[in-house]
Amino acid sequence: MKTCILPLAKGACFLSLLCALLLAASFLFMPKNNHKAFGMGNDELVAGGILGERENSIDVLVVGDSEAYSSISPMQMWDEHGFTSYLCSTGGQPLYDSHRFLRQALEHQSPKVVILETNAIFRPYKLSDYLASRAKSLFSVLRYHDRWKALTVNDLSGPMGYTWTDDLKGYRYNPKAAAADARRHMLPSEEMQEIPPLNRVCLREMLDLCEERGAQLILVSTPSTLNWNYPRHNTIAAFAAENGLTYLDLNLMTDKVPIDWKTDTRDKGDHLNYSGAVKVTGFLGQYLKQTFDLPDNRMDDAYASWHSALLRYRNTVSG
Amino acid sequence: MQPGVDYASCRDLIDGRYLDSLTILALVAELEEEFDVTIPTVEIVPANFNSAEAMWAMIERLQEES
Amino acid sequence: MASYCSLLYAGVFLPAVVLCYAVTPQRHRGKVLLAASYLFFWLVSGKLVVFLLASAFSLHHFGLWLAAVQEERGRLLAAADKPERKAIKAAFQRRLRRILLFALLLHIGTLLTLKYAAFFSANLNRALEAFRLPFALPVPAFVLPIGISFYTLQAASYLIDVYRGTVQADRNPGRLMLFLGFFPQIMEGPICRYGQTAQALWEGRPFTWHDLTFGMQRILFGMMKKIVIADRLNILIKGVFSNPAAYDGGITALAMVCYTCQLYMEFSGTMDVVIGSAEIFGVRLPENFRQPFFSKSIAEFWMRWHITLGTWFKDYIFYPLSMSGPLKKLTGAARRRLGNHFGPLLAGSAALLAVWLCNGLWHGAGWQYIFFGLYHFALILCGSLTEPLARRVAGALHIDRSAAPYRVFRILRTGLLVCVGELFFRAEGLRAGLSMFRRMVTGFTLRPFTNGAFLELGMDGHDFFIVAVAVLIVLAVGVLRERGVPLREALGRQHIAVRWSVYYAAILFVVIFGAYGVGYVPVDPIYAAF
Repeated sequence: MKTCILPLAKGACFLSLLCALLLAASFLFMPKNNHKAFGMGNDELVAGGILGERENSIDVLVVGDSEAYSSISPMQMWDEHGFTSYLCSTGGQPLYDSHRFLRQALEHQSPKVVILETNAIFRPYKLSDYLASRAKSLFSVLRYHDRWKALTVNDLSGPMGYTWTDDLKGYRYNPKAAAADARRHMLPSEEMQEIPPLNRVCLREMLDLCEERGAQLILVSTPSTLNWNYPRHNTIAAFAAENGLTYLDLNLMTDKVPIDWKTDTRDKGDHLNYSGAVKVTGFLGQYLKQTFDLPDNRMDDAYASWHSALLRYRNTVSG
Repeated sequence: MQPGVDYASCRDLIDGRYLDSLTILALVAELEEEFDVTIPTVEIVPANFNSAEAMWAMIERLQEES
Repeated sequence: MASYCSLLYAGVFLPAVVLCYAVTPQRHRGKVLLAASYLFFWLVSGKLVVFLLASAFSLHHFGLWLAAVQEERGRLLAAADKPERKAIKAAFQRRLRRILLFALLLHIGTLLTLKYAAFFSANLNRALEAFRLPFALPVPAFVLPIGISFYTLQAASYLIDVYRGTVQADRNPGRLMLFLGFFPQIMEGPICRYGQTAQALWEGRPFTWHDLTFGMQRILFGMMKKIVIADRLNILIKGVFSNPAAYDGGITALAMVCYTCQLYMEFSGTMDVVIGSAEIFGVRLPENFRQPFFSKSIAEFWMRWHITLGTWFKDYIFYPLSMSGPLKKLTGAARRRLGNHFGPLLAGSAALLAVWLCNGLWHGAGWQYIFFGLYHFALILCGSLTEPLARRVAGALHIDRSAAPYRVFRILRTGLLVCVGELFFRAEGLRAGLSMFRRMVTGFTLRPFTNGAFLELGMDGHDFFIVAVAVLIVLAVGVLRERGVPLREALGRQHIAVRWSVYYAAILFVVIFGAYGVGYVPVDPIYAAF
């Protein structure tokens, strides 16, 4: 027995020291601010802007892939209704990243509503990618190791606090238009498209997290001829019914969200452009405001920065 | 053959890479002619060619078998 | 689990197998490895695991068949009188040979069909077109099971060894299945012989702290080569080779050297992971590399690079061919006329040509691979032909051929020749390779290095610097190995603080300077595609 215990103790010692070292390295490599200049990854930059928002100041949080950042404009909702929202959405976002952004946002925010754009639910991912993502969250040196090229003495100190946020609050403005062929869009069908098993587990975890934090999770399918169809709709509708969730399929609400597939998409039906986003956001803002009794913060001085951001937003979308 | 190698006493002619494959072909032809045996492909393994003694042992064995 | 350097293999699969192995009683440990191996194959290749199972099944049966016939021959020989023996021997020889040929045909035929059918029918169609003949063969597209080029050679070596009587036919199907499909080596080799690994794998070696630490050291070193060097070079190499016309001679030369470096680091790094993995289970796999870039000639290079493939070709193609009746006669006759150096060269080069054609084709169905094989054949032949001349010239000029400057010259010359070969090897088709080579020779300037153009290929100064540091580490380890310094044993004798510091430094080096994550595309296991 003794011959067995010594190596085991040695191994445990080695591993704990290794973990300590990796944590120390993670501290060193962690971007000390969420500015681009501080080494925040390109793709995470816009979504990470939420870290620069005042604590508990966001009413609605959105996670999802590019469908989300092409279709929902928080600044428009602020302009029309006065509640605040932020999009933690990245291109090709795997569902575990949606989960990660949700976790990260909930550390500093307590939104009333969390919107999950449903396209990411069907994006399959590999177990290894998921494990890698968890490892990177545990030891951020794995995520930010490439910063060795730009490391300075300042990195030895702790984080300075996050000071940057995005004027568009995660929305990405795109005015281009490329007409889609929508003749076969949302042809009725009884079929269901299976949710990949790993995604199902992840979805469940997100659900539990929202419940625990008292946030309403709602599922939204933004209009896309390329990505959305009836088999997907049926699956999500069934999932929502099973779990008592609200599900909005904007692809079917053609009277409330009258998308013109000739002018409202930037890439032949894959994503909406600005004019499409205005229609989606117009409806969604109204719906959220009425359904969840969201506050109007426009008179509150604590939200002054949103007013100046709105001016810059208007500047961006007008030309 | 390489100069500077003591072929008579060397014990790792193959493993030490002193004999390349073409030299072995020449060697096999020479041995077959000299001792009137047939060396089959199976016998071309390092153990049989690593030293002069090993080669001699192989030849004696082959002569006995035929 | 696309690569042995992936998180899923090194972080999950291997530790899980090691744990199972360690807690299982010794006599069942072989079965743990067997189950893990076929699970691994299934995880990588899915249903194609049936190919491996079929191979193992037929291997078992053909082995026993050969053994049964050999046994019968033994009985008859024992009962027969001396004069009859020769006839019995010859008759059985024919029978055994037929069985062997049948078995080899099955195994190698599967490989040929899956790997080369598309290439041959495409080329045949081109020929038919050239002669304006109005038919065309369908060009099939098969999905290759992972590692088929490697395990088929292992299977063939087992059959031939049983036929030759150098190993006993195995009655235990489990042991054969494990020999064929052992998970660390299934994707990229080393190509093992039955006599080397089968027993050691199956009997379940004791699990020791020493093997565990040595194996992990080796795995870490391999990961360093792969993740820090090979993956970091990938972006530059991909850029240049996918659009060669856009770059001048200097950049082409840089890409050529980078690719040679990448290929070595990727392949030998993977071998370190593979051999290290096996070492944890107490099994010593044969080495595939022995500091190849210290070679003084191309012939020597191939004794140090992908060694197990080279010895396979030597034992199962080169010697059987050159020792076959007609070529043996040729050698005998030529020796009397041309002497001991040039005599065997004639028959030898015929066998050598066959080896290098096979070697080229083994790497893939494409003309650039055939060219690659012939290129090395020509260089080796040239080396042999000019050897006496070189010796005489050196003697006349009083050049000491063992002096350091001359050795360095030969090493650099060999390295350059190897690099040129790899240029053709990597180029997207033979035509692209030829035009890249032409541009490199006729249009070589140092301008891209003086005006900074080489920093605009996806690698900045930092990247080149860290690659250089890592290459120097590998070089230093190589020099010590060349001198026969037992590096790992020396490290093992150090104080625990020193040892652990080295380990931690190495781990952090890989973690920080590895080329992974956003913005990097790791290089696919190059040899797994062959």
